Amino acid sequence: MTAALLDDFRAGVRDWCREHVPGDWRRAQTGVPDEEFAAFQKGWFQELRRAGYAVPHWPAEWGGGMSVPEQAVLHEELAAHDAPRLVLAFVSIHHAASTLLAAGTDAQRRRHLPAILDGEIWCQGFSEPDAGSDLAALRTSARRKGDAYIVNGQKCWASGAAHADWCLLLARTDPDAPKRRGISYFLMDMRTPGVDVRPTRQATGESHFCEIFLDDVAVPAANRIGPEHEGWRVAQETLGAERGMTMLELAERLGGGFRRLVGLCGETGALDDPVTRDRLAALETELTGLRALCAKLVAGERPGPADASIVKLFYSELLQRVTDFGTEIAGLSAHTDLRKPLSSGWESGAWPLDFVASWEWTIPGGTSEIQRTIIGERGLGLPREPGEGR
Amino acid sequence: MTADLSEFHGELRAAASGLLAGTPGWRAIADAGWPGLEAPAAFDGADGTFAEVAVVLQEIGRAAAPGPYPSVAALAIGTLGLLSPGPGRDELLRATVAGGTVPVVALDAEGTEAFRLTGGARPDGARLHGAAAFVLDASAADRVLVPAADPDGTAVVADVDPADLTVEDRPVVDATRSLGRVAADGVAVRPESLHRFRVPDALERIRDRAAVAIACDCLGIAEAMLDATVAYTSDRRQFGRPVGSFQAVKHACADMLVRVTVTRELVAAAVRAQADGGPDAAAACSMAKSYACAAAVEVAGKAMQLHGGMGYTWESGVHVYLKRAALNRSLFGTPARHRARLAVRYARR
Ligand SMILES: Cc1cc2nc3c(=O)[nH]c(=O)nc-3n(C[C@H](O)[C@H](O)[C@H](O)COP(=O)(O)OP(=O)(O)OC[C@H]3O[C@@H](n4cnc5c(N)ncnc54)[C@H](O)[C@@H]3O)c2cc1C
Repeated sequence: MTAALLDDFRAGVRDWCREHVPGDWRRAQTGVPDEEFAAFQKGWFQELRRAGYAVPHWPAEWGGGMSVPEQAVLHEELAAHDAPRLVLAFVSIHHAASTLLAAGTDAQRRRHLPAILDGEIWCQGFSEPDAGSDLAALRTSARRKGDAYIVNGQKCWASGAAHADWCLLLARTDPDAPKRRGISYFLMDMRTPGVDVRPTRQATGESHFCEIFLDDVAVPAANRIGPEHEGWRVAQETLGAERGMTMLELAERLGGGFRRLVGLCGETGALDDPVTRDRLAALETELTGLRALCAKLVAGERPGPADASIVKLFYSELLQRVTDFGTEIAGLSAHTDLRKPLSSGWESGAWPLDFVASWEWTIPGGTSEIQRTIIGERGLGLPREPGEGR
Repeated sequence: MTADLSEFHGELRAAASGLLAGTPGWRAIADAGWPGLEAPAAFDGADGTFAEVAVVLQEIGRAAAPGPYPSVAALAIGTLGLLSPGPGRDELLRATVAGGTVPVVALDAEGTEAFRLTGGARPDGARLHGAAAFVLDASAADRVLVPAADPDGTAVVADVDPADLTVEDRPVVDATRSLGRVAADGVAVRPESLHRFRVPDALERIRDRAAVAIACDCLGIAEAMLDATVAYTSDRRQFGRPVGSFQAVKHACADMLVRVTVTRELVAAAVRAQADGGPDAAAACSMAKSYACAAAVEVAGKAMQLHGGMGYTWESGVHVYLKRAALNRSLFGTPARHRARLAVRYARR
């Protein structure tokens, strides 16, 4: 795409944003009940969908088809116009879609991709009480019985499960095989009898993640994705595929957070302080580095084996530094913001809560410690940690 | 510190942590003698120093305990101690030591707003105007000590009934703390309720005491979070071994210990300087406040990280410490403000 065409595209997105981004959604979305948040999210998703902006990263035949430079511009403009984020559909449009595209059958794709566009919500049931970082230690069992698998066990920390229609589920189909070999991957209808979702209250006070109890849940064999016992490989593919594109958006959103931080420093007079200016400049430099890294990663310039981990680690810890600094600068009055606007990201401007919420990135999706080990081992070729293989 | 004193501190520490485990009310705290630890025996106090108060403050931080003790011990007792003696002051000090009164000093924790007095010479007495945006434990006060500038600019303290002021609760993210905005709109102050300081730099000294008290709280927070993390990571198993056996986790814990150890030294020096009132007290205060507050945020944050998903839950309680640490950092001078104050000394040398 030529620069001129890309400029036209940007102008189009800008016009659209000016017309469609709801004006005072931050105030309106602060402290609303869960159902209202979900309704707002679904409405906003459809608004984006009508413009062709909801799933730009999907293949054209399924409703996407935007080039990577266009996607970058789209996210830049959405962030610049402070558009609400698609928080509720995050797992559906990224995790679920890339799993279906990479490993699904035609029938599975036809069943679910259009439904996701119509508003179907997904959650991810990977982690268990005794299987977090060591995901392959999961114990939830799935036993084949005729045309179905009977699933028993418990999942935890499943983000958005209370709103979810479907779940990406990992379960053990062969208890005797080595840890990673006996796992299968299922698409589970959350309305199946025996599925019990219990929200867990989290550090910010909200309950976006949930426990899922599974008691003799019958999952049709047709809803297995990928070959039996090979769910681990499917899960790896998904996680890897999903990470790059989400980062493109998150880096732009963090850019929006940085602009808020500069604004705050201006309002409080902190900008007059040379130390503050120094720290802001350092953060902006890091942010510029992050955006460059993301752009490279999604442009598919033959990413190195640890690049996704480097971006995830750097993004999440930079997010922590930005929100930490915002908390420090904003002073005591920021501590009186007891709720942050839902539908915003992790840089909503309610600084102390954003700071607490920044652990939503350094813990899930492989903790920072695990990422550093991956970078050391895959990126630098250092000897592996002793003990069981990861 | 003499051997005697350190033994006494050990006992006090154990007693404090025992009492705090039961979330004591003000009566229990007064019965334990905490409000009067520093007060002279003539006022039924324990005749101790700020060092004993610091032991309790640290335990309160370690328990992330609610309640107005830190503001009473640091601000009110400190203020009363710096006022010229007189019947009004003496009565209030005695009542505070006995636990019958909870006085709160209306000092803005951010230092941006203040009070002033007008018409002091008139027979109908002075009038108090102004506001303090963030007063620690404002809602717990049954007497409010309002530092104000009198018409010729001298710092004085007005002893005011909270009913005569506008006290407005300001709920904060840290649920263990209570802050309120206090405003006075021409409140009449009788001459006997107006107190003068014994020393010229009293307000700065009071602020410093408050900052050191917060540093003690931060030390307690950091210690508690390090202990909890060591216990959790020694127990929690992934990949067939305790997660604490992984180098990444071990190194993070080691870094936490290093920070806690350095914090302990800086806080101890600041507490000593407060107790002795030496010339370096202000510098020691700023070093302790800036370092301890940054360390507590970092250590509590690492604790959340190393507890994994469990640490991010409401029930784990790690967030309680993280939020308290973040609030502490903003109370009575940010780390940057205290470092800037330290840096002023470079130019003077
Ligand atoms: C906000 C949030 C949302 C989440 N959403 C989802 C979701 O939607 N679906 C889902 O399936 N899961 C989700 N998770 C779960 C998340 O993936 C796990 O919490 C994460 O993988 C860590 O596992 P754990 O909590 O068991 O911590 P543990 O694995 O017990 O880790 C404890 C500490 O030990 C460290 N550690 C563990 N092993 C090693 C090692 N080998 N080397 C060095 N350090 C190590 C960790 O880094 C951590 O600091 C979510 C978690 C959070 C906090």
